[in-house]
Amino acid sequence: MSRTRHSFVAGVKDMLPILIGVAPFGLVAGVAIINAGQGVAESIGMSLIVFAGASQIVAATLFGDHAPLWVALLTALIVNSRMFIYSTSIAPLVSDAPEWQRPFLGYMLVDQNYAAVMTQGRFRDDIDIVPYYVGAWSALFSVWQVTTLVGALLGNVIPAAWGLDFAVPLVFLAMLAPSLGNRTAVGVAVVTGVAAAVLVPLLPMQSGLIVALLGGMAYGAWRDTVAQHEGAAR
Amino acid sequence: MSATAQFWLLIVVLGAGTWAMRSVPIMLHGHVPHPPWLERLLRYVPVAALTALVVPGSLYLKANGAYHAVPARTIAAVVALVIALRTKNTVATLVGGMAVLWVAQWALALVG
Repeated sequence: MSRTRHSFVAGVKDMLPILIGVAPFGLVAGVAIINAGQGVAESIGMSLIVFAGASQIVAATLFGDHAPLWVALLTALIVNSRMFIYSTSIAPLVSDAPEWQRPFLGYMLVDQNYAAVMTQGRFRDDIDIVPYYVGAWSALFSVWQVTTLVGALLGNVIPAAWGLDFAVPLVFLAMLAPSLGNRTAVGVAVVTGVAAAVLVPLLPMQSGLIVALLGGMAYGAWRDTVAQHEGAAR
Repeated sequence: MSATAQFWLLIVVLGAGTWAMRSVPIMLHGHVPHPPWLERLLRYVPVAALTALVVPGSLYLKANGAYHAVPARTIAAVVALVIALRTKNTVATLVGGMAVLWVAQWALALVG
């Protein structure tokens, strides 16, 4: 198997446990679009054009609740604004890609393949990042398109009482744990976690998440700066 | 404008805005300066982002626009964190966390 192909397959494989959480999430998104008074064409269009789960559910739900269009749009964009930070963060790792591929690599970026590259892919010597990332995306994309369509056509075929949507935070937790290797990283997790717990229910338009993320980033940068100065003083 | 036309407008503008946010930094890399302070600020993005994705879903469920505490999920998340730190294994964390969630839901239903 060529190195590119091996990398692509590794990306697909690393998504397999994650897909258990993506599938019920996709069903919910499909159901949300139908509940907003829209049809199968809108469900397919939204999953293809937007391809960002949480924002699709938020936008469709607000639209269905007769919120002003600009409120639904702005809230969904705030939900997705973390992807600007992901894109800035992952850019150096995919900078081998030719210029024409970059707009497509951007389109492919979601939480799951970002997290897989940053917590697993970039530490492996046996793969190239770009095909690994595209492989992870292809698995996510296929399951997302199929499950949102199934949700739109059949409703939520997995009973909500099973709580399979909880697989999403569980998998992110599994990816987080190996990154907690030093005191600063643990501090960043605590600061971000406390901020998210307090701010998410409090702040409007789902902006608590992004404020918590920025707070954690700032804390980490501050601790690193202090540590560097202490190191220099010694 | 019909509701369907409005929804398509929402899809297209949201799609374009989201694409711009996720693509522009990748497209501009190497064409704009990448100062050390930015590097430092970005270093803990994976840890902060993953935490921000885990915590709300482990504490709350949103129903009818309001956040409700879900103790069964919180208990399951704490056990899953211990499993994740011990095993560093995604499947073990997923299976363990879901199993604890189901047991905790059943036990809390008996109590409550």
